[in-house]
Amino acid sequence: MRKYRFAILSFAHIHAWSYARVLKELPNTELVAIYDDSPERLIKAGDAFKIDVDKRYSDYFKLLEKEDIDAVIVASENAKHRDLVIAAAEHGKHVICEKPIATTLKDADEMVQAAKKHRVKFQTAFVMRYHEATVEVKKLLERGEIGDILVITTTNHGMYPGLWFADPKLAGGGAVMDHTVHTADLMRWYTEDEVNTVYARIGVNIRPHLPTEDNALILLRFRKGVLGSIDCSWSRPDNWPIWGDVYLGIIGTEGYILVDAFRSCITLASENKTLKWIYHGPDCDKEMIRDFVKCIEEDREPRASGWDGRQALEIALAAYESHKRGEVIELPLA
Amino acid sequence: MLEIMSKVKVAVVGCGFIANAAHLPSLKRIENVEIAAVVDIIEERARKAAEEFKADKWFTDYTKVLDMKDIDVIDVCTPTYTHCEITVASLKAGKHVVCEKPISLKLREANEMIETAKKENMRFMVAHCLRFWPEYVRVKRLVEEGAIGEPRIARAYRQSGFPMWAPWHKKIEYGGGVFIDMSIHDVDFLRWVLGEVYEVYAQGGVLLHKDSTAPDYVHALLRFKSGAIAYVEGSWIMPEGFPFTTYLEIAGTKGLLTVDNQYTASLKVFKKNTCSTYTPQSEDAYYLELKHFIDCVVEDKEPLVTGEDARKTLEVVLAAVKSIRENKPVKLPLGEEVIL
Repeated sequence: MRKYRFAILSFAHIHAWSYARVLKELPNTELVAIYDDSPERLIKAGDAFKIDVDKRYSDYFKLLEKEDIDAVIVASENAKHRDLVIAAAEHGKHVICEKPIATTLKDADEMVQAAKKHRVKFQTAFVMRYHEATVEVKKLLERGEIGDILVITTTNHGMYPGLWFADPKLAGGGAVMDHTVHTADLMRWYTEDEVNTVYARIGVNIRPHLPTEDNALILLRFRKGVLGSIDCSWSRPDNWPIWGDVYLGIIGTEGYILVDAFRSCITLASENKTLKWIYHGPDCDKEMIRDFVKCIEEDREPRASGWDGRQALEIALAAYESHKRGEVIELPLA
Repeated sequence: MLEIMSKVKVAVVGCGFIANAAHLPSLKRIENVEIAAVVDIIEERARKAAEEFKADKWFTDYTKVLDMKDIDVIDVCTPTYTHCEITVASLKAGKHVVCEKPISLKLREANEMIETAKKENMRFMVAHCLRFWPEYVRVKRLVEEGAIGEPRIARAYRQSGFPMWAPWHKKIEYGGGVFIDMSIHDVDFLRWVLGEVYEVYAQGGVLLHKDSTAPDYVHALLRFKSGAIAYVEGSWIMPEGFPFTTYLEIAGTKGLLTVDNQYTASLKVFKKNTCSTYTPQSEDAYYLELKHFIDCVVEDKEPLVTGEDARKTLEVVLAAVKSIRENKPVKLPLGEEVIL
């Protein structure tokens, strides 16, 4: 069996740790080298995943020049995605990029262009397209089990993730930037349609000390008329039993589907700890990377492409614009 | 002021779903209440209700009970578009009035009802039952006690199939549709907890039941003067057999609370192809609501839900209809009537 050789470019995003675990677990992938611009993180990740010291890079260019790898996973701060993705593409490496794809449409477009030009696979890490429950929903919809979609109500709640997630320069925003794109992408996938209008309101912060927003509500209308809503708020307190949720209520002409993707949990009360819900459901990170390798092998487009990342980003940016102007925003953005 | 020990005589006008399912059984259980008469334009329904709830008299014309000197309270359970006429006539006849929600479909009518109650010096309450619903009252108290700090963002759903038991709901000019008739509960409750709304944006309309002129799905984004925001969803387009589902969450600076009627009920009853999920309580919302109004009448107190409250809530749900029509956010107060 051919082993696909990966590097992870930055462990700034917490998901990087899960992707590294998956690369170790899957039979046909290996984690060969890592890069990070934080010396502490480089040591921490290097030690955690037993990466040889000479395979730990503080210069991604050097890593891309020296290492014999097939693909990279970019999990830096959002604003740094662009440079890493374009450099990887220029070196002929396939790319998985953490969401949101970037913080501006200009960056996103350049990334998509670079991947196209250098003929590498470019996957946005919309792991929710690989969660077995949401995949099942896609099949149910395709079989017409609930008729035509009328409305999709979604939430992607979370705790405040800390780190750089509320740094406007690195993250490009707060909860709207972080949590709009997952369910926006699922809605695009399910409706096979694009968003026509966006209306959004950012609330007064739950955590007043944060420099970015931590709660907002978004209403969408798709071109063919499907209505949608997103609650992207970091409204879960630190002692909530689980990090958050991905919830979708899909109303069709002949039925209703309710997805509560991370509700498959064991309830645990443990000494000196708050009550926890321990998730035991599908491993969407693993499914995504497994499928990505197949995309390389079979030379096909990833299920969630760079373009999908770009389209979801546009919805998040339109939400900011709508809040700023107090108006319904039409897509595409000018 | 009425004699404390004497029974309060109530006439229920309209013997449809809400009267039979909630008002009449609750009134029956209030010790100092006597159901003196029931009225329905359908004779059969009036007679049946009188029989079942042991009312002395039944009529098909509500003006008959206005002539009865010994009747103290009129409980208006008719379709929404008739609320104003019956309420105003009852108040003018010297009766106290408790009226089902929505107060009316027109702000002008709501004004008239409020002014008449004042002028006639009669008690008037609109039956916004969530203000008496045990878990919702608990939520209100928790928020007041500071359990979640300053409220910031709320979600409220109310979902069911189309209310086929009342065909008038299919006409927008009779019932106003799902947001005006059903989401009004959540809007009123959120106003109670979060304060006044100043802007509404909504999407929706007649999505599924094309024989209806009344919207069967609406979702709206509300902005409150307090700075809080809320997502409110009302759906009558759930599949047949879908259990009536309500959900509420409020996140604040110090915490988060959720209420979910499907997850937190104390009883589930399974029968062939159906499952009912509920929490039976003898002092349920309808009992507490009507008991409260009777107490207000007896003790000459202002009811918890005033006509003004109900009017403000009506204004928010009307703004949602206007927002859908214009596809833009609508600011309150409304400058003009929204014609349904």
